[in-house]
This record gives sequence, C-alpha cells and structure tokens, in this order.
Amino acid sequence: MAVLATPPVITAPVENQPQSNQSTPNETPAPTDFLTEVSRSSTLLGDMAGLRPFLSRFGLSLSIQETSEMLGNVTGGVRQGFEYEGLTQAVLQLDTERAFGLRGGTFNISGLQIHGRDLSAENLDTLQTASGIEADRSTRLWELWYQQKFLNEDRLDVKIGQQSLDQEFMVSQNALLFVNTMFGWPMLPSADLPGGGPAYPLSALGVRLRWRPTDSFTALAGLFNGSPVSDTNGDPQMINASGLSFPLHGGVLAIGELQYAYPALGSMVYSDQSGVLSGVYKLGFWYDTEDFADQETDDNGLSLSNPDSTGIPRNHRGDYAIYAVVDQMVWSDPNDEDADRTVNFFARAMGAPEEDRNLIDISVNAGFTFHEPIPHRSDDTMGLGFGYAKVSDSASDSAKDTAFFTGSYFPIRGSEEFVELTYQYQLTPWCQLQPDFQYVFDPGAGILNPNSGHLVKNEAVLGLRMNVQF
Amino acid sequence: MIKISSSNSSILLTAFLALTAHAAQAQIFLKNIHRHVTLTSTVADNGDLNPYAVIVAPVSAGRIQKGDVLVDNFNKVSNLQGTGTTIIDYNPATKKTTVVAELPQHLAQCPGGVGLSTAMTMLKSGWIIVGSTPSGDGTTRTKGAGGLLVLDANGHLIAVWANAKINDPWGNMATIDNGTTAILFVSMAGFDVPGPDVRDPKTGNPVIVRRATVLRLDLSIPAGKPPVVTSETVIADGFGQRADRDAFLIGPTGLALGPNNTLYVSDALANQIVMIPDAATRASSVGTGQTVAKGGLLHRPLALTMAPNGHLLSINATNGQVVEVDPATGQQLGAQWIDNDQAQSPPGNGDLFGIAITPDDKGFYYVEDDVNTLMKAMP
Repeated sequence: MAVLATPPVITAPVENQPQSNQSTPNETPAPTDFLTEVSRSSTLLGDMAGLRPFLSRFGLSLSIQETSEMLGNVTGGVRQGFEYEGLTQAVLQLDTERAFGLRGGTFNISGLQIHGRDLSAENLDTLQTASGIEADRSTRLWELWYQQKFLNEDRLDVKIGQQSLDQEFMVSQNALLFVNTMFGWPMLPSADLPGGGPAYPLSALGVRLRWRPTDSFTALAGLFNGSPVSDTNGDPQMINASGLSFPLHGGVLAIGELQYAYPALGSMVYSDQSGVLSGVYKLGFWYDTEDFADQETDDNGLSLSNPDSTGIPRNHRGDYAIYAVVDQMVWSDPNDEDADRTVNFFARAMGAPEEDRNLIDISVNAGFTFHEPIPHRSDDTMGLGFGYAKVSDSASDSAKDTAFFTGSYFPIRGSEEFVELTYQYQLTPWCQLQPDFQYVFDPGAGILNPNSGHLVKNEAVLGLRMNVQF
Repeated sequence: MIKISSSNSSILLTAFLALTAHAAQAQIFLKNIHRHVTLTSTVADNGDLNPYAVIVAPVSAGRIQKGDVLVDNFNKVSNLQGTGTTIIDYNPATKKTTVVAELPQHLAQCPGGVGLSTAMTMLKSGWIIVGSTPSGDGTTRTKGAGGLLVLDANGHLIAVWANAKINDPWGNMATIDNGTTAILFVSMAGFDVPGPDVRDPKTGNPVIVRRATVLRLDLSIPAGKPPVVTSETVIADGFGQRADRDAFLIGPTGLALGPNNTLYVSDALANQIVMIPDAATRASSVGTGQTVAKGGLLHRPLALTMAPNGHLLSINATNGQVVEVDPATGQQLGAQWIDNDQAQSPPGNGDLFGIAITPDDKGFYYVEDDVNTLMKAMP
C-alpha cells in the first residue's frame, strides 16, 4: 500500500498580464534595505535581488517554500523517538498572454525536494500517516500542466498535463491546516488506488475540465491515467523516482465533483437579513478501470491464506468510490474590528462499496478550525480534527483466514482513529510555526508490533512544523 | 363624494407604503448587476501588486484613451504595503493592458518616498494626480507623510505637492473639473499615526488618532501647463485613523460628490458614511460631518462612488460586498457580493478597495487585491 500525503499549500505565483510602454523613471531606486523589509515582506528573500521583477517582465513568477518539521511519538508505536522531515516546493508559472499574446493561459511546472525521515514508517506503523509531507527522499518533478480559460466570465477552463489530484479534487479548505496526511489526500484513495493515486508526491497525465454554469455551482471532471506509475507492484515512489515517468497505458481514472458554494457571486443581501455564514459543499466520485487484487481470495477462489492457494489474488476489473465534503462557517465575530474571527466546521467522508478489492472501504475526516483564536493574532489558526479509517470486511476476513490456517494468533484489523490538535502561529508574513499534537487509537487498525508480539499500542505524537516562503 | 373609513385609510396607507417600498426596490442599482467579468491582471511588469485606486480616463491624452481604466498598485513585488510605484492602463476596446507610469521608489520632494494609494484622479486636461502613502517596511512604523504626485498623460512625473496639510493621502478622490480650474477632495489619514504595535490598552487594537482630515484643493490649470494649487482648505477633520498590520491604515477612505456640493465621506473606523455640506465653497471645517448611514450592511466602508441613480455605492472592507445607500434618506437599500472568495473569512474580507462607474452608467469597475485583478460588474 502506498500512502500519499498532501503538503502545505504553497502560495501560488501571481498571474501577470502583458504590459508595455513603461515610462522611464527619472531616478534610480535606492538599494533595498533587507533588514527593514524582512519583517513584513511576504517572502524571506523579497524580490530576490531583482530576480522576481526580472522574471515578472517576461510573465514568469516563482514561488519557493520550505516545510521542516520534527515529529515524534512519546508513547506507543513500534519504537519511540523523533524524526526530522523536510520538503522544498518550487513552482514556476508562465502567463501566456505576455509570452504568446494568448489570454487566459497558464503554464505551470513544480518540483519537490524531499529530505529527512518518515516518522510513520519508522515508528508508528499507522495507516493515517502523521505528516502530509511524508514521502521517500527524492528530488522530483511534481506537476507539469497547461491551463486555458474559455467562455464569458471565464466560466470554463481546461487543464492538461501531469497533475496531482489532491490540489483540486476532494479538497476541504479548512482541513488543509492540519499536519496529518489524511486531511489532505484522504485515506481511502491512498490505500485503494493503484500507486496510491495521482497525489503528492506523484501525479498523472490527464485532462481536467472546470465549468461554472451558475455563480453557485462548479463542476470538475477529469480523465487521468489509471495509475501514476507504470508498475503497480512495489513502492511507486521508487518506481517513478524522479517524476519523469509519464505512463499512458493501462486503465483510466475518471473523477467528477460537483461543488456548491454560498454566498454566490452577485447575490443580494438586504438589511433585514442576518449575517451570512459561508459554506462549500461537494459531492464526487471516482472510477478507475485498472486491475484490482482481491483482498481475501486467490484466482481459484481459495483463501489467500490457504496452504493450497496459488498465492495469486483474484483479479477484479475496476473500482470506484463516492465522497462528500463540507466546509461550513459556524460562527463569525459580529464586531467589525474582529470580523475575521471565525469558527468553521469541516467534514469529508468517502466510501468504496466494492469491499473485496479494497483495504479501506470507509474513511472520514472532520473537525473545527478557529481563525484568530487569540484576539489581534489575525493570521493564526487553531484546529481540532479527527480521522477514521475502516479496514474492509474482506481484508479483515483475510486476517481471520490467516489465523485459521496457521493456527496461531493473528490480529483482526478493524479501524484506526486519531485526533489532532494544532495551532498555526504566523511569526512573520513569510514564516509560520505550528506546534502539533496527535493521538492515534488502534494504530494500523490493530496490527502486531514485531518487537513485542502484541498489538501496537496507542500513540501520542508531538511535533513542530515550520513553513518558510522564500 | 366618497367617504374613506379609518379601516380603508389604513389599507390605502399600507398599499402606499408597499408601493413605495416596491419602487425603492425597483430602483436599486445593484439589482441590475448580474455579471462579474475579470478584465485583466493588475500586476505590473515590475511585479507591483495590491491594486487600490480605480478611475476612468475622462479624455484621450498622451498614451491614454478616453474610457481607459487606470489602476495603481500599493505594494511592490515583495508585497510590502506603501511601496508600489506603478499605474496600469486597461483599454476596454483593445483589451490591452499597459504600464502608464512606473515611478521611482524614492523622491526627494515626497517625504518617505512612493507608495501609490487610492487617491487618484485624471483631469480633463490630461493631468493625473495620484497620492503617495509611503512606507519603508510595509507598516506605518516607517511611513512618510507622502504627497500628491502630478503626472502627465505619458506617466512622467511633473510635480509633487507636499506640505503640512498633506499627510498620507489615502481615500479615493472626488473631483469637480471645469477644465481650466478644478477642485479636488482628498482624505488625509496619516497625521501622527504610529506603528501597528503601539496598542490601545483598552481595546488591544492599534491606537486611534482622531486627526484625519478631508482636504479641498482648488486648482488652476493654465492652458498647456500643469495644474497649480491656488488654495487648500481643511473642510472636515477629527476622523479616526489608525495603523493596521493587514490593511496598513484604517481611516476615512471614500469620497463622493452629490447634489448641491454635498460631499459624502466613508468614516471607516466609525463604520458610517457622513456628509459635508457646501464642500466646494465652505471656508472652514465641519468637523466629522453629519451621519448619513451607520452600521447595518456597512462593514468598515472604503471607497465610495455615486451611482447613476443618485445612490451611493460603498465598498466594504471586512467582507466582499458593495452596499447601496440612498443618501437622501440614509436607507441602506441592499448589498451585493462582488467577491465571494472563501479563502478569506468572511468571504472577500480585505479584498476590495477602489470602485468606479463605467462610462455607459450600467455597471462599475472594481479591483480584487487577493488575486490582483480588475473586474467589471454589469447587467
């Protein structure tokens, strides 16, 4: 099983338009005073000694973000201790209007440099991995796509190329605050899709359409290669170690999502109406035509644990899941001085009905976020979240079969739950510090600790993440 | 003769009120606005961003065509507030965007340098006058008093007006332009404003300094020559102003002229719109004016403009709405979400600033500083 993560959202570069005929300044700007500016600049390096303005003149914009964290478990797990993990993201975008005179087009290329060690793999053995940046150490291409807007009011846009679906599909905006992986790309597709699906640090070739038929509704639909890697056996991140493999064979992953948001652009409000608590609701599905291995039986219909089994799982063609996402503001400070003090609820649930081919058949995230929990800390956010992943009955039955045929104790996997409490502290506009606490119940949904022969005990995970925008 | 009983009269009164209410509803300008079109990115060639002022060129002059939309930027590429130096020009006919002015960051005549604010106008004679509210570190801690910069229609800097009455020209200008003479109204929101870390112990917010003014500048515009200030009069003062880490400054921001030389001012900190009578002629300050509308749909009002139906359109700072107010009655007729970006809470919080009516009187231009775009709202 490949468990994929979703990294902290990097601030997208700004789009540029072609401009010309600049007047010539009469005076040369004074040298930039780095120390004066650094406390309020959006980026640590400001204009990068003139590089950013230079790139801007060609319609190019560059964003670089480093995420570094120390996470460790002080109880439970297969061992205890702390690990350092780091991720550098770089995104370069080109506005085609300046480059080619073509309005509404954007080229995007992004890369990842992943360093450090995975706490979840080393210490926790959890399904729902502790950090959204966990991945194999590598330097890799992430996304490479072109997007073009169409129709009046830009109501349609098409994106084609190598894409990571966790950037647009099944996203809960509030959930992105959290450190645990499963608040980004959910547990179910991470466990069930080939290679974990096209999500961080992987991606897949395909095309995505976004259509906004009304100001309230948006439809997303995409067709992608059924797997982000050419060979679904083994570690997909090792198989596609640089991100330069662009498989276009095998199955197709079709995904669709309908979004409803309010208040809608253009909607009217009158004096006798109470304040609006905004919300976004999403319904979606995915269907993958790839081959999927049965969780319990072999190609002759015997249990895979049966000594007479061929050991080759029964093959199934295709798999699907449905999902729903809610982001709903539930409180907003009525005082205009504190209008951005809000409490938001979020929930996301996904189910895969075909239990025989899925390790996880239900996954759920939910929680609350509190923006500006401390008055006058207007860029801070606190969150309390919850995650749940249920192992399918077929996968559980497989464990029962193993116990039966081996005559030895073998744990029956059920479900794994965790809670997370986190606080994102905006130190400067370019730096965030985020202390984090997670507690995992039934790690791995109930698996043996190879070091003790007992079930892995519940884990308390502590850590600190830092995001720096360069 | 028809006798009207008391019950009948109450029915008639009710019907009359209903009809009146219906008529008021029917006259709401915003109810006719249904489309919101992205026209262009407002990011300048040098990466300047955070669009503030929006004006429509009244004439063709230099590189500017009549009807072009001019937008200035308050921030440079590193997103420091009070450091933007560019004005872009969007031509609705060709849909092309050009940089019409790129000023130096530092000007000896302009205390603190250049950071272009919402105070901008273009005269019929082709001259552009734009406010500078500059900062060194993106906060008021290092702000200068700035000034008013006079540019020609090719974006060349011609003159700088700076003196003791000019301190951080901030809000959108109101203008009476007679060709050879003109009157400008500008709000000044920088007098003695400290940095955002200087807090009022009672509220925990940055301290409020009640020294903001509205300044009237009477101009003479000799043929072929730049405008000259013939007199300056503070026509209102005592408005609250304070630093803000996110918004740089909060103070009186919107100015719009109504009938009989009545000037309407958005007093952001008091969450109200006030009126200043005889604004073009009065010789003394009216203080903070007379309240026209307060609270309700108003949420820290910013830029103001007068809609073709005589109603005020007021941009909200703390959500993505524009509010329509009947200045005659003070009634808040309704508001429309023109930015519903849920990346902010409430949606659109902090995204909006300038507004200008389109030349056909059917819609308005506005800017969204979260995505750095010029928008057009229309039927």
